[in-house]
Parts: sequence; structure tokens; C-alpha cells
Amino acid sequence: MKKIYFLLFSSLTIFAGEVPLASPNLAPTHPGSQLYKEEMIEAIPFWNKFGELFVYVQTHYTKPLFLAILIGVPLAFAFHYFVWGPKKFSHKGRKFLIFPKWQRIVHWIAALGFIFLVPTGFLIIYAKYFGGGEPIRFARTIHDIGAILFAIAFIPMMLMWFKDMLPKSWDLKWLGMLGGYLSKEKKEIPAHKFNAGQKMWYWTIFFGGALMLLTGFLLYIQTFDKSLLNVKIFQIDILRIAILTHLALALIIVALFFTHLYMSLFAIKGAVDSMISGCKSEDELKHLHSIFYKDIINKKIDKKLEEGCK
Amino acid sequence: MYNYARMKFYCDTERCIECFGCVIACDEAHELPLGIARRKVVTLNDGIEGKEFSVSVACMHCTDAPCEQVCPVDCFYIREDGIVLHDKDKCIGCGYCLYACPFGAPQFPKDGAFGIRGVMDKCTMCAGGPEPTFSIEEREKYGQNRIAEGKVPMCAATCSTNALLVGDAESVSKIYRERVAARGKGVQTPYGWKEAY
Repeated sequence: MKKIYFLLFSSLTIFAGEVPLASPNLAPTHPGSQLYKEEMIEAIPFWNKFGELFVYVQTHYTKPLFLAILIGVPLAFAFHYFVWGPKKFSHKGRKFLIFPKWQRIVHWIAALGFIFLVPTGFLIIYAKYFGGGEPIRFARTIHDIGAILFAIAFIPMMLMWFKDMLPKSWDLKWLGMLGGYLSKEKKEIPAHKFNAGQKMWYWTIFFGGALMLLTGFLLYIQTFDKSLLNVKIFQIDILRIAILTHLALALIIVALFFTHLYMSLFAIKGAVDSMISGCKSEDELKHLHSIFYKDIINKKIDKKLEEGCK
Repeated sequence: MYNYARMKFYCDTERCIECFGCVIACDEAHELPLGIARRKVVTLNDGIEGKEFSVSVACMHCTDAPCEQVCPVDCFYIREDGIVLHDKDKCIGCGYCLYACPFGAPQFPKDGAFGIRGVMDKCTMCAGGPEPTFSIEEREKYGQNRIAEGKVPMCAATCSTNALLVGDAESVSKIYRERVAARGKGVQTPYGWKEAY
């Protein structure tokens, strides 16, 4: 028992946080950090490489571009909603289990992460108009918590849908007709379990999400040990590239996130149910995922999938 | 261009002897916590004869300060005499100023269990901050306000070789010009001159 207490106590002292020792000339930071060492002076003449680029992007593009996304995307969808209207499908009749419970849980963890990440991200970008200070500092903390939630769900979510998300020949056809969203008529749309739009969202998250997590982590740590990366680049330039990547990807991801919200909540009536109960109606499957529907009928697994929804 | 003084730092690398006097003076004068280094002395080409030099670096109080341009909360303000200051109550600690700064001047305390960055801290050229001059809040957040007292910033006041110069840009460059002339080596382009001035 004593041993266990000793182990507990010693591990506590290890994780109690680094106690920085005073050094005569340098900030006591991570030993591998080059942010406060010789490299910082060497990087000065190269400021106009990425430093100037960051200043230019931040002063000219960040705020207007995110504003354009924040206003433009919902406006475009409002226009779509009033011109073409939402797609309605009968929710009576047979229902098939599309997303088992564990997939739904993984999805909602990631979704909760996004609900934390996106608004707080906007709060940081437009901090000026919210006065800054403690509330926005709190928003930054929420942003970090959202990132952790997203990171937890990221790998299982990417693995569980990987096979279904691989591009197929009919995806081109789907893209050619824009998924049939620009017409009012109800017809069979070529798509398997996921349509080309969903695949675009998936692959953006696959690469973009991973990069967002990586760059966000680098920006969070700031004084990480650069020698682990084994690249010849100034540490401050890594941070500059990280923030630029983070901002550029955020722009794309937020735009697609709004699209995802619109599709599930408004464009297809009741589509969000498939992520709550896990079930999709026969009418909806037959039209929007025609290839998948034919597949389950041919393979005779429709009975089994139907069982899951009873 | 300007008919009033614009305050500038300049470190004469020919004179800097890497004694760290300025660093200790700054840390002590403003009672900075560990992990915050408003001023740093860095030696380059250590041990290479003829190429080794040391330089003391802090916020250079740029005329078109990039930190001021990128700050999402607009917490920076540039005084009429060119000193770049910021408001710690507005600062959200996002770190953008560090990414924009050519000199790595902005410092961030890491506190709390998860090492979350606190609000930014940087050299104020001993000019305090937006709080009322000589108030306790100003002292605690930004350190001494020696400029308001009519004193030279602590680092330059301490410098034993007078390598670190501070003051009106005209006067600083006049002193430096005289030094270069006295050395008789011809005019050299000082390190970082192009970027800082």
C-alpha cells in the first residue's frame, strides 16, 4: 500500500507542471523551443517571407472572407430554399437502419466539437466587436475543448465511413446534376450509402480536420520542440504557416459545415432523423440513394436492416 | 517627416559584451514572473572569430507595428512618441502579435493546469500602459513607468558599455554615426537596421 501511495505521489510531482528554472538570458521555456534563442535573431531578416504574408492576409482578407462565408452561404441557401424548396419524402412505410448506435455517438461527439469550435472561432476573429478581454479568453478555452472533442471522434469517424466514402464512377453523375437539388422533380439520384456531396465533406474533414488539429496543436503549444520535426525552418515560421493554414482551412470547413447543417436540417425534410434514430425511410433511400437501395434489395439485407428500426 | 521625437532602441553590437545586465534590470524593475522575458540577449556565431556578436533585443517599437495591424481586438496603441503599448484587459492571448512580430517580442505566460496562454506581455519601453499613470494597476500589469518619471528605460540605464541606446531616433542615430566615424571602419550596415527603422 505504501508503495502505491509513493508511486501516486511521485507521479503527481512529475505532472505538477514544469517548474522553470531561472536562466540568465533566455525565457525559461521548453528546452527544445527555438522561439527565444539564436534562431529568433536569425529569423529577423527573413520576416518578409511568411511574417509579411501573415500580416497581409490578416489585415486584408481574414475578416471580410469569414464575413462573406458567414453571410453569403446562409443567404445562398435561403435563396435555394425559397426557389426550389426542400425535398419532402414520406416517412411512413418501411425504414432501414443506416447508422448503428455507436456511429451515431461518434458523429455527435464530433458535432458537439463543431458546435463549440465554429462560434468560438468566429468570436476570436471578430473579438474586436465583442470587446475582447475575459469573455473572449473564455471562448478560446471553449475552442480548445471543442478541439479535444473533435479529436476524440476524428479517428473512429474517419475509419467507420472510409470504405463507403471512396469515390465511385456515379459520383461524377451526381456532381453533374448537383444532386438534383436544382430541380423540384423527384427522381432517382445516383448515390450509394453516401452521395458525392457527403463524400466531399468527408474528404475535406479527412485531410482538413487532421491539418486543423495539427496546426491548432502547434499554435496551442507554441514552444514545442522543433527538433522532433527535423525540418530546416524557423520555429516562428512554422507558427506563421500553421496560423495561415488554420485560417484558410477554417474558411473551407465552415462553409461546408453550414452546407451540412442546411442539408440535414432544411433541404431534406427529416434527414436529421437518420442521425438521431439511425433510420432512413424507404421513400428517401429510393430517391436520394438509389444505388444503395437497389444494392440492399439485391443482396436481400433489407429485412435485416428493417429489423433494426422496429 | 515627424517634428516630434520618435522613441527607438538600438543595440550597438560592437559594444555589447553579453553581460545580461539589461535583462536582469528589466526583470527586476518590472518584477516579471519566470517565463516572461521582455528583453533578451542573444549571441550569434558563438566562438567564430570575427563573426561573433551579441545583441540585446526586445520590442523595437516599430513605426508601422505589425502587431498593431493584426491584433483581432485592436488592443495596441501607438503613442505620439512612437512607443507601442497594449491593453492587457482587452488582450485575448491569441498569439497573432507574436506571429506578426519580426523580433519575437510578445511573451505569453503559461498558467493553469493545461498551460493555457495568458494575456500578452511585452516591453513597454518603461512607459507603463493605458491605466492611470503611476497607479497600482499600471505597476502590476505593465511595470514601472520610468518615462513619465523622466528617466531612461531601465535596460539602457543599466547597460555598462552603453551599447544599448534608447531615445529619440535622431539622437540615437547621431550617437551611432559618431561611434562609427570614431572607429574608422567606414559605415557598416548594422544588423537588423533595415527591418527596424
